[in-house]
Amino acid sequence: MEGHQRNLYLYERFNARVLGVSRDDVTTLKYWAKGLELTFPLLSNITAFLGVYFDTQPEGQPIFQRRTVIIDKRGMIQYVKDGSPDYKEILLFLKKLSQEGGK
Amino acid sequence: MNGKKLALLFSLLIIGFHLFGCATIKTSAKPSYEVTSKGVMIYNEEFEFNLPPPGWRLLRQEGESEFAFGFLKTDPGPFPSQSMFVYDEEPFGCSMGFEDREKEFFKRFLWNAMLNLQILEKKKVQVLGGEGSEVVVEGKDPIKKEKAKAKVIFGKRAERVVAFYITQWRPIDGTYDDSAFITFDQFVNSFRFLKKSFYETLNDKIFSIFPFSLSLTLHSIGR
Repeated sequence: MEGHQRNLYLYERFNARVLGVSRDDVTTLKYWAKGLELTFPLLSNITAFLGVYFDTQPEGQPIFQRRTVIIDKRGMIQYVKDGSPDYKEILLFLKKLSQEGGK
Repeated sequence: MNGKKLALLFSLLIIGFHLFGCATIKTSAKPSYEVTSKGVMIYNEEFEFNLPPPGWRLLRQEGESEFAFGFLKTDPGPFPSQSMFVYDEEPFGCSMGFEDREKEFFKRFLWNAMLNLQILEKKKVQVLGGEGSEVVVEGKDPIKKEKAKAKVIFGKRAERVVAFYITQWRPIDGTYDDSAFITFDQFVNSFRFLKKSFYETLNDKIFSIFPFSLSLTLHSIGR
């Protein structure tokens, strides 16, 4: 997440925004965001419906698995990657989408 | 309806699903390096610097480690006598200014050692051909009877902050070895970039990995 914060100014150039989703409660996320000085929104999704929707909720586990999803302005999922974010690949992908006409 | 509103607000939305404290480690090939006859090391065809004296062992990045690369030396004396210096392309923190970045950096630097770091010295320096900032800190652990002294130099690679730092560990009644800090300074002063960084080229390069990325994406969605 700190990597996303570090790259926010680059995401701006590609007209992209970042949203973090976690199963942690709001209070935990507030302290966490404050500690890392994150300025982008974090969603507390205790009921995990977003995780189910994006297939990041392992059955019977209280946490999401790590996944990065890029959604274009039409609401289409354009990129999905599991594990820790590959920040450079994300930037290259955003650049590619931007070059394709601001999808 | 909500989707349309989102579309108006954002052209692209990156959603990160995360769990705390359980980062997965991505492995990648070790970067290459070569040493010229003049004792200059060229690392990953991107960085050039004077090789430290014998006794310093190269540390190469193998994945998403906390630094790009560095050197480690085991010092004479009991545990934990050792020195390590590194070049860090993505030092802790996010700010582009040195003052704020220092504060963010020292929130997490050596955090798992549980040391209460005290600033011994702080000054502006010239580094990487521009203005930089140097901070010397020391921390002691009276329980483990250990101490560490570190010098951190923040500089700029284009618009992003990068850092060099050396950390020297000693038993709490041990003596620091200044020669390691001199070696570190020589490393920093000789350091230069042989090509533009990824971020500098982001705006003018066309890469060919996208079709592959896109096919992975579609495969994932189809699961």
